[in-house]
Amino acid sequence: MTSSTEAPPTAAAYVYGVVAAGAIPPIERQGVADAPVHAVADGGIAALVSALPPGELRIRRRDLTSHLRVLEDAFAEGTVVPCAFGMVLASEDAVRHEFLEPRRDELVALLRRLEGHAQLNVRVAYDEDVVLQEIVAADPTIAQLREQTRGISEEAGYSLRMQLGELVAASLGSARERDGEAILERLASKAVDVAVDDPGDGVLKASFLVAPKNIEAFDREVERVAEEQAPRLQIEVVGPLPPSAFATLERGAWAS
Amino acid sequence: MAVAQRGTASNYLQRAPSPSGLADVLNVILDKGIVIDAFVRISVIGIELITIDARIVIASVDTYLRFAEAVNRLDLNETGGMGLEDLKSGGDGTKRKAQGAIEGAKEKLTPGRDKESEKSKS
Repeated sequence: MTSSTEAPPTAAAYVYGVVAAGAIPPIERQGVADAPVHAVADGGIAALVSALPPGELRIRRRDLTSHLRVLEDAFAEGTVVPCAFGMVLASEDAVRHEFLEPRRDELVALLRRLEGHAQLNVRVAYDEDVVLQEIVAADPTIAQLREQTRGISEEAGYSLRMQLGELVAASLGSARERDGEAILERLASKAVDVAVDDPGDGVLKASFLVAPKNIEAFDREVERVAEEQAPRLQIEVVGPLPPSAFATLERGAWAS
Repeated sequence: MAVAQRGTASNYLQRAPSPSGLADVLNVILDKGIVIDAFVRISVIGIELITIDARIVIASVDTYLRFAEAVNRLDLNETGGMGLEDLKSGGDGTKRKAQGAIEGAKEKLTPGRDKESEKSKS
């Protein structure tokens, strides 16, 4: 698997992630552009790469999945520092001399920091009907507007309905913020690090970096929150995943 | 989608070992992880074909009217359920109905879509 005879030495190298050299068995899966994945080692660390065909590559949905599956395979066997999708170097030589060699200290530090850790992606959303009932019950103005606008024609009630909707939207917004923060705080207490995303219409969207010994505790905490908040919240947990949200090098340092 | 459900809160908690939808896959692999600026990034060629963060921005007027309609629809005399179980029993397909359209749009491959003009609407 470590031979590079499958591709000419000048072929561009697609990089999936970095592992400690020899730490994981060969990846048997085909990667991006259906090319075999192999390890390119230098100074105790190794990049998981596959050759890219020359010319313009059209990315298919399958290539996106392949990138993730290769990382998941590596993650199942040990610690991997994931690269973002789409990282390509000019050749395997460039992988050694422009990536692994100059960045070795940082990569080794990342490998150590992420060792055994898993990423859990959590998404929390309201069951809208349940939360809207709470909002109507909690706010007399909203309840009153609701009564006034029920059963009158759309045209006649337009401005009242706008007023009602605006109040409801504002209430919903502050409820989301309040609940999102509370849940974030509880789950973060079981994690080493957290990366919060924009939840969009949801209550919370975040990635948690969890130590191996805490994965069960994290899971139990999610379950407790779900039980306490039922039926108003829907919680979705994806993982354990390779910790891509926490694999970052100082961006400025990369500027060439 | 391989979703394991367990525990008493199973209706409200869904677990999956790995992301399945395209939007969820992208959420894990795109702009997350090590990035180098030094050489070619094929994302420049391919990723723009995908409306990664295409947000369907509902104008606030529509949002307000939708909420007004939603609270008017509520039957407050009906205690408890609100037909919740009916909503949930469909599993994945029915959860977060309102977001279905948005997720759908995210997954659509739209060649030539200009991300900037998409953003400027928001």
